Amino acid sequence: MNDTTERYVQFRGGMLLLSAVWLLMGTTCTASEHDSDRLFTLKVLPLLKEKCGGCHAADAEDLKGDFAVDSREALLKGGESGEASIVPGKPDESILYQAVLWDGLEMPPKENDRLTKEQTHYIRRWIEAGAPWPNAKRQDELRKAEWAVRENEDGVIVDTSGGLADEWTYRRYHPEDIWAFRAVRRKTELVGPQNNLHAVDFFVNAKLQQAKISAAKSADARTLIRRATYDLTGLPPTPREIFEFRKAFKAAPERTYGDLIDRLLASSHYGERWGQHWLDVVRYADTGGFSNDYERSNAWRYRDYVIRSFNNDKPFNEFVVEQIAGDELRSDDPEAIVATGFLRMGPWETAMIPQDEARQLYLNDLVHNTGQSFLSMPMRCCKCHDHKFDPIPTRDYYRLYAAFAATQPAEMAADFLPQENRNGFAQKKKLVEELLAFAKAELKTVDDKMEAAATKWYEEHNLPYRSANQRRKDPEDMKPPRHVGLTPEETGIKKVREQDVWIWERRLERYRPMAQGVYNGSDKNTNARKLRPTDNVKKGWQPATFILAGGSLEAKLDEVGPGVLSGIGLPVPTENDASSAETPGNGVPRQATTSDDPYLLTEGISGRRLQLAQWIASDDNSLTARSFVNRVWQYHFGTGIVKTANNFGAKGSSPTHPELLDWLTADFIENGWKTKRLHRLIMTSTAYRRSGPHPNLKKVETVDPNNDLLARFPARRLTAEEYRDSTLLISGELNREIGGVPIMPEINIEVALQPRMIQFSIAPAHQPSRTPAERNRRTIYAYRVRGQADPMLEILNLPNPNESCDLRDTAAVTPQAFTLMNSDGITDRSIAYALRVQKERPDDQSQQIRRAVQLAYGRVATAQEEQNLSAYLTEMRRYHQQHTPAVVEYPTQVTRSLVEEFTGKPFQFTELLNVYNDYVPDPKPWTVSAETRALADVCLLLLNSNEFMYVY
Amino acid sequence: MTSLPRRDFLYGLGSSLGALALTDLLAADFATAAGPLTPKQTMRPAKAKAVIMLFMEGGPSQVDTFDPKPELNARHVTESTRTKGLATGKRFFVGSPFKSRKVGNAGIDMSEPWQFLADPEVADELCVYRGCRAESLNHPEALLQMNTGSRLGGDPGLGAWATYGLGSENQNLPGYVVMTELALPQAGPANWTNGFLPAHYQGTRLRSTGSPILDLNPPAFKSHDHQRRALDQLAMLNAAHAANHPDHRDLAARTESYELAFRMQTAVPGIADIAGEPQHVQKSYGLDRKECTSFGKQCLMARRLVEEGVRFVQIFSGGWDSHDYLERGHSSRINCVDQPIAALIRDLKEKGLLEDTLVVWTGEFGRTPDNNYRGGVTALGRGHNVDAMNMWFAGGGVRKGTIVGATDELGAAASEVVHPVRDVHVTMLNLLGLEDNKLTYFHGGRFKQLSQFGGEIIPELIG
Repeated sequence: MNDTTERYVQFRGGMLLLSAVWLLMGTTCTASEHDSDRLFTLKVLPLLKEKCGGCHAADAEDLKGDFAVDSREALLKGGESGEASIVPGKPDESILYQAVLWDGLEMPPKENDRLTKEQTHYIRRWIEAGAPWPNAKRQDELRKAEWAVRENEDGVIVDTSGGLADEWTYRRYHPEDIWAFRAVRRKTELVGPQNNLHAVDFFVNAKLQQAKISAAKSADARTLIRRATYDLTGLPPTPREIFEFRKAFKAAPERTYGDLIDRLLASSHYGERWGQHWLDVVRYADTGGFSNDYERSNAWRYRDYVIRSFNNDKPFNEFVVEQIAGDELRSDDPEAIVATGFLRMGPWETAMIPQDEARQLYLNDLVHNTGQSFLSMPMRCCKCHDHKFDPIPTRDYYRLYAAFAATQPAEMAADFLPQENRNGFAQKKKLVEELLAFAKAELKTVDDKMEAAATKWYEEHNLPYRSANQRRKDPEDMKPPRHVGLTPEETGIKKVREQDVWIWERRLERYRPMAQGVYNGSDKNTNARKLRPTDNVKKGWQPATFILAGGSLEAKLDEVGPGVLSGIGLPVPTENDASSAETPGNGVPRQATTSDDPYLLTEGISGRRLQLAQWIASDDNSLTARSFVNRVWQYHFGTGIVKTANNFGAKGSSPTHPELLDWLTADFIENGWKTKRLHRLIMTSTAYRRSGPHPNLKKVETVDPNNDLLARFPARRLTAEEYRDSTLLISGELNREIGGVPIMPEINIEVALQPRMIQFSIAPAHQPSRTPAERNRRTIYAYRVRGQADPMLEILNLPNPNESCDLRDTAAVTPQAFTLMNSDGITDRSIAYALRVQKERPDDQSQQIRRAVQLAYGRVATAQEEQNLSAYLTEMRRYHQQHTPAVVEYPTQVTRSLVEEFTGKPFQFTELLNVYNDYVPDPKPWTVSAETRALADVCLLLLNSNEFMYVY
Repeated sequence: MTSLPRRDFLYGLGSSLGALALTDLLAADFATAAGPLTPKQTMRPAKAKAVIMLFMEGGPSQVDTFDPKPELNARHVTESTRTKGLATGKRFFVGSPFKSRKVGNAGIDMSEPWQFLADPEVADELCVYRGCRAESLNHPEALLQMNTGSRLGGDPGLGAWATYGLGSENQNLPGYVVMTELALPQAGPANWTNGFLPAHYQGTRLRSTGSPILDLNPPAFKSHDHQRRALDQLAMLNAAHAANHPDHRDLAARTESYELAFRMQTAVPGIADIAGEPQHVQKSYGLDRKECTSFGKQCLMARRLVEEGVRFVQIFSGGWDSHDYLERGHSSRINCVDQPIAALIRDLKEKGLLEDTLVVWTGEFGRTPDNNYRGGVTALGRGHNVDAMNMWFAGGGVRKGTIVGATDELGAAASEVVHPVRDVHVTMLNLLGLEDNKLTYFHGGRFKQLSQFGGEIIPELIG
């Protein structure tokens, strides 16, 4: 059946009736006239305004086709073609109707704006009814009558702080689109687990039964331990762990499995794995991005705070409050200051941007990412207008904006905590100090030459010498020309070295008790390269926040105070609020809200964020706990109960198991927002323990192609971090140390040394950490530069840190093969891996093969594998006996070439690579025997194989 | 066995997996499977099949290249009271240090440093556009705007959208190739990222020195045959594994990606190896001139890539940010790119490729007609200007031998046929047979498109 007939059949009844009424009725207001007036006022007119008015209203900036839709007369007159756009009573002869069907004309022209079937039918019915156009007064009456009804067949009106137009404020939502704005159902409101069935299985099995598909059987012990270990720690289990687990599992599967989960949750690697998930969401990086990509030297402390929070099973609601308002919560607690690093995670830069715009960029970023990270509500859409699909008015956007309006980014003092890793500070600092000294010396040479020329100039002009600083503001004719005495090339060098001094002085701040944080204060001129708090907040300064039409600073509408999202119907918690008794931060004095509006926060400069954070972390907030529970579920099963973990709005996915999500959320809240408990709950379900293969795969894939119902467990590819960490673990090189300043792994040397443009200069080369123990640590500790990623991680879909990543891409792109087969990094891992195998199984080739396979796959090699790989090893031994790798030396300096902005000519300068002065390399092809290189070839294949790459 | 999920498929299917049972098992599916880079139907009749975008990073000056302003020259070093832009303090006008003349039959304005491009055979192919306005005064944001349609970074590059919409003709080469100088342009790889599109559509950087693609080849002590042997052995491991996991659909694609990698190891160096090009061709690109070698080689490679069916090629040439010493700066930059660009257009023309290859020459913004007293010195240079710039197009269905749009008498702001950058993007997509409004991808709660929220075609540019 095609679209047209379907529509016809569906609506024929109504059409006949309407036509009859139209023919028979006179001028008195009848029920049907009332209906068609309503149809026009409530359905058709908004469509004409929204979908056509932009280009086809008489007041449109640029009236298209000389055609307007803003009156009945205009429609009857038609456009430049001269033909009427509507023929009352005859939709099929009406151009307007044909156009919205995209029959002939295609209107609106954008695919995404196209009218739905339902909407085109409104227009059809309206034209059939004679295209009535009631006057404004009548329209108003009809609208008011309609708005008085809260819920009808068109949907439900959601109370909010109000849109820019009544049409938005009183629009209706389909209940299934606003599920997330509705309160989480308590367990008592749900038909919950019965017959001692595990809660997760109760809900999952119900859906499977409905769909009449059976579940796969439980995975075997080896699959389970590998799955659980990767999921909770991001590392593979060791062969011994597997052996012991399998043995115990045979005797007591439930207890053994439960013990495994407990052991993994207690491991400090748990925080590294789950901290990484959170860092993906909040866009962790060690630099600020954009043209200078300035280092945020203390960001690492926030990274470690996140890891620590997961390891300590910090209640998630506390975690929320600390990140948004740690400084207001416990201003003397360094941990709480470090936590506000969340507010410093976005890429941000002030260079060449007017101050007010730079400030706006910062605040927009905070609003959007606070919404997205904690509430799964991306806010960017409502920066310019009321939300097109969700009950979020732009007013709420600017209320959130006002909540941050006094928040100023700065490097804050924060003492080091005993639990923070400060290993090797002295030695690492020394390397930076050497680079700083070099830059200063080079700068001095140029400056001395310039000052000599300046001195001469002053002598020639009979004026007393004034230093570069002193003369900065002197009149032009009272001081020597800028860069006097320098060749253009020397001017270039001066700029480069000045930038170097900034870079290395900044890097030394890593070792100082500082944190990338915020303080509350008035707006001032800022430069992202150095952000220090000021004590002297201007007296009486009060941020003024306006709704900005179209997000433009030039288009101020109403002034708004700080507030929260009104659409979920949760008031801001007050001091007397019993439900907030357990909310973190209770007992901290707070200013009462000054308004009757329950969604407004305190107006004080201080306290806005804390109240906002408490509102977000409230037990009664329908978004926060659901958002996080869904994320946890997603990282276990590969997809969330809601597939769009960052977006619970109408344009996100609907939950596949809404009752399960609510049950888990209610349980999570009831039990103190404890994440480890949630893991245990999810992982002890049968659903989590299912195997991938299914006896009736064809049927399952037909009924449930996306595996939404979880009849079987989905395989997943290792993430970039898991891959690198696993190779280091298997090769025996992994240093399991936790936390500390960023490590510098060895990355592709071409990329490490390749010049990277920053403003006025070239960013310093990537110098790896000096010793294997320092650099062969887990990837979460690797220096994360927005302007340059480690190519090996990037190719394995490491996300771009400028955007929040709620789920990793796993596309298998061809360049992955180049990196995993050919790079120096993977070659080094394969050699270390071979050395380990040789050391552990010194004599026998077969034993070596078996050991290599066991380390990579956690199982015994098959006879076939042993035979094939053994033959391959023999062959490779012959090959390597005839092929000797050349020795590669590390450079201790590199010559840079830059095109000088003044002259367009290249000039050169030297950059020191001082780490290589006494560098301790990993084993390299040229430091090992042909025998090792041959075995390394076998190891390389294992590290490239699908069995290693996927978790089942 | 049920059919394999198409969406997860790698480009370049249908070749050897080694002589294994798996091959037979999957052969039928491979024969028909569509990968993400398989050529796709255009949305409307296309005028261009491929794009070569020549990006002059730093912001070339319109009044010193293709938009001469006698009135500005008349006001040279007189005081300016314009307040636009970032600079504060006293300002003075800067006339162009270059004479300009009309060249070719079409009479395109060109400053004198352009010698090769002025050849009528080449100049008459150009469609110079003077009406574009940029948005950001800052290099990285403006670069991102021109290359991804968004100042913020994180959106897909032009070539990512093009290959997402059209696929690529050659499955043994990347569909979207980027060439840069040794130093990356500001904002780096964000200029050619796949953004929220699947990773298959990211630009692949062909490097000017060393290995053309990072780690394209094994370390020197491992031979090509060694690699082949390793891949065969790997295929065996993977086949045994796949037999145990018939339910896992990603395995075949990942295994195949290694085979495609092996084919690319041959195809890519072939493209980069220009020794086979006749001497006179190499010479025409200026490869015998030191200042042209690098950019010339990249232009020649661009032609070879397009010839092989690559969809989108982008070359970045830096150093156009002439705040001071404009004459030296711009003449040196023009000197480096003039001959290679002219040769590229002529070469494409001779090979019959120009008519369906769109060549685009642009920067991220234009420059101001005036300058501030830099440190009190009347430095002859120009600031950043978002209100005026110039760019040109050739081939690919553009209206050749024309000048479209205009700037005011000083070249300070676009005044005729004025369009934002997004309209240039929409027009480029249109020439490729794509429609911006339909070329969308659902991400972050809405359908995203290159123009962000829709744009207009610039009809004057289309032939």
